[in-house]
Amino acid sequence: MKPKERSQCGSVDEASSFASVTNSDAGGAPLLRLANIRKSFPGVHALRNASLDIHAGEVHVILGQNGAGKSSLIKVLCGAYIADGGDIEFGGKKVSVRGPADASALGVAVIFQEFSLAPYLDIAQNIFLGREQGFMRLGLVDKAAMRRAARDILRQLGLDYDPATFAADLGVAQQQMVEIAKALSQNARILVMDEPTAAISEREADRLFEVIERLKRQGVAIVYISHRMKEVQALGDRITVMRDGAVVDSFQRGQVSAEEMVRAMIGRSLDSLSRREPRPAGAVVLAARHLRTAKLADISLEVRAGEVVGLAGLVGSGRTEVVRAIFGADPLTAGDLEFDGAPLAARPDRSARKGMALLPEDRKREGLALPLAVRDNATAASMWRLFRRGWFSPATAERVCADLIGRLKVATPGSAQLVRHLSGGNQQKIVLGKWLAAGSRLFMLDEPTRGVDVAAKAEIYRLIDELVRDGAAVLMISSELPELLHLCDRAYVMRDYRIVGHLDRDNLSERAILDLAVHHV
Amino acid sequence: MSDQTLPGSPVTVGGYLARVPGVAFILLAMVVAFQIGNPRFLSITNLSNVGLQASLLLMLALPMTLVILTSGLDLSVGALIGLAAVIIATLLVAGWSIFSALAAAVALGLVVGLLNGFMISYLALPAFVVTLGTMGLCEGLALALTNGEPIGGFTPALEAFYRAAVFGIPVPVLVAAAFYGLLYLVLYRTRFGIYIFAVGGNKDAVHLAGIRANLVHMAVYVVCSVSVALSAVLLLGRTNSAHPTVAVGMEFEAIAAVVLGGTSFEKGQGWLFGTVLGVLAITVLRNGLNVLSVEPSLQVVCVGVLLIAALLIDRNRKRPVARITE
Repeated sequence: MKPKERSQCGSVDEASSFASVTNSDAGGAPLLRLANIRKSFPGVHALRNASLDIHAGEVHVILGQNGAGKSSLIKVLCGAYIADGGDIEFGGKKVSVRGPADASALGVAVIFQEFSLAPYLDIAQNIFLGREQGFMRLGLVDKAAMRRAARDILRQLGLDYDPATFAADLGVAQQQMVEIAKALSQNARILVMDEPTAAISEREADRLFEVIERLKRQGVAIVYISHRMKEVQALGDRITVMRDGAVVDSFQRGQVSAEEMVRAMIGRSLDSLSRREPRPAGAVVLAARHLRTAKLADISLEVRAGEVVGLAGLVGSGRTEVVRAIFGADPLTAGDLEFDGAPLAARPDRSARKGMALLPEDRKREGLALPLAVRDNATAASMWRLFRRGWFSPATAERVCADLIGRLKVATPGSAQLVRHLSGGNQQKIVLGKWLAAGSRLFMLDEPTRGVDVAAKAEIYRLIDELVRDGAAVLMISSELPELLHLCDRAYVMRDYRIVGHLDRDNLSERAILDLAVHHV
Repeated sequence: MSDQTLPGSPVTVGGYLARVPGVAFILLAMVVAFQIGNPRFLSITNLSNVGLQASLLLMLALPMTLVILTSGLDLSVGALIGLAAVIIATLLVAGWSIFSALAAAVALGLVVGLLNGFMISYLALPAFVVTLGTMGLCEGLALALTNGEPIGGFTPALEAFYRAAVFGIPVPVLVAAAFYGLLYLVLYRTRFGIYIFAVGGNKDAVHLAGIRANLVHMAVYVVCSVSVALSAVLLLGRTNSAHPTVAVGMEFEAIAAVVLGGTSFEKGQGWLFGTVLGVLAITVLRNGLNVLSVEPSLQVVCVGVLLIAALLIDRNRKRPVARITE
């Protein structure tokens, strides 16, 4: 999602003094009210019935699992989505938000996880980008005046940055602060922060919380999205829990325990998919011991032949990084890998030859060559098998491909069809097929059912079952807990780039996974 | 607050040196070496010669800096200055006044700049391919207009202008210096300049800040082409004839000078004065090799070596950053 459009309003004088919404009594009328917002896309109800009251001078935390509708609600709030139904009221009056400019005019600003700073402009130039007209003197930009104004804004946030510093020289946390300053210079009255502590250290987070406190005192309303229970409880004046596109509960500060919040996030039992019969596990295929990379800390895990092992955790907890590190796509800084009992130096070419398969999260970019034919993609990981006396053998390629199409029931007019014309489910089958053709015995599946329809999902589940029945080992990442429960024999749970728990078959439940995956006090 | 490394903390002497691009050291070393090799190197006559040679390259490399700051490239400058020279010479021979001929050159620059800029900015075509195309276009046109023959016999005023000096400083050097001053103001003191850095760094953000990012992006190519076309005056003054392909290949030196000066093809990182250093390094190298009577073809080899050497020096010498780590 792109940063919202920023309007060109806001003169210097306004910029250097925040919008002062003095009326910040929590019990009073809300500054902004979203009522019964609905939004659907073909086949998906992103928001069913979401309501949110935002009060000046309050931190309103939105809590929910992946896919609960938090992002969609924010997109409606900042004008990136136009709601199908429901009302938005500002200061008690109904308003219509038909685009980012409308939201800007209401004083809504969003700090996304991806920042919008130009690296080789300084802090002041970034804050006032597009609004330099307040600093013109004799047709030239008065740098000193712009820096003074920037310094004033930063000071009001309690920050002593030099406004002449390039954005490129700032750390992530500092860039975030500049984004906040930029929003405030545009008279933001409602500041939305999407998981602001995801990429910063604990100390930096404390600094952020101080700034949030300051903003509250100045009457700014904060909408704060986070998975971290500790923050939620420390910051939230009001906590709204979302699930399946609807707001299910809303609490005042101190009304609830972390326990209750987690319960509200899970809600009804989603165990509509059956659990499978226990499978007998064979020999250890993959053993990883104390792996470290630039991001990961001390990852140890084992996968045996004939079992499906889940890698659970919230988005951004490091799951993808684990499978990439094992495959050799990201360099290891420490740790040992054993494959079939023999040490393995992780490097993609060797991993593939030895029988490791990686189904990447981003199928279209990393899993397939979209402009190429089914045949070329299906044989991409087993090219070395297609040479006869040193020459490429099209007939062998054709045979391998035809076998796969039959076995995986790929719906394609033929092996020459371009992969980009296939549906998501069939594309995913091709990615799986390319590793089957290579004779892989360890399948690392990163969100294998993302973006495929229900029928294709069932088909992929069946294929995974077949794989393990034939003695393959599967390590699987999924953000859909019911899917993990349905498929996995056991699971590792990740948080903050570490494995924080292991759940065997008897202990594997949605509740247990979330307990480990979210941040507790 | 005190426990954090603040951005913009005082820069130490060592830290300051680390920010100087490798080319500055190479330039210094070359000056010393050439002076030892030939004591006439630092004579007034030779220095004014270096200045004359550098001035034309500066006229191409300075606007090229703007283009490269937007993560772009303009390969057409060498062919364009040749075509502009041919057109100006043809018109002068045909009896036009100097000012009308210059107006025609400006018009040519506008057309080429708009063509380049529109395709690169609005149509999002790769700058390399677009300007490779206009390069061929300009070179072909220049050859067609002249049948490959040089045009001479126009007013001697241009050569007189090129050879003139004020207080001992050659006029072309003054022209290049004035152009540097102008571009410095534009780049660092106008909104357009700020937006150039921003377009190179994060074009989406510029667009979302309510700025017409595509227009800014296109304008950079127009500025480049127009100033290059006008610089044909210096080229004509130097050679006193318009040879259609005399300047082909100058784009190589112009781009090399910008890159030598520490401007990056990414993120809008770079500085204008670095380009001056880059131009001086290339010119001093060529001049010194001339004084030492090294063959011209070998000189080109040396420029290539210089470029690669500077890149290697700067590779591990990123500007120091005050990043906060956990």
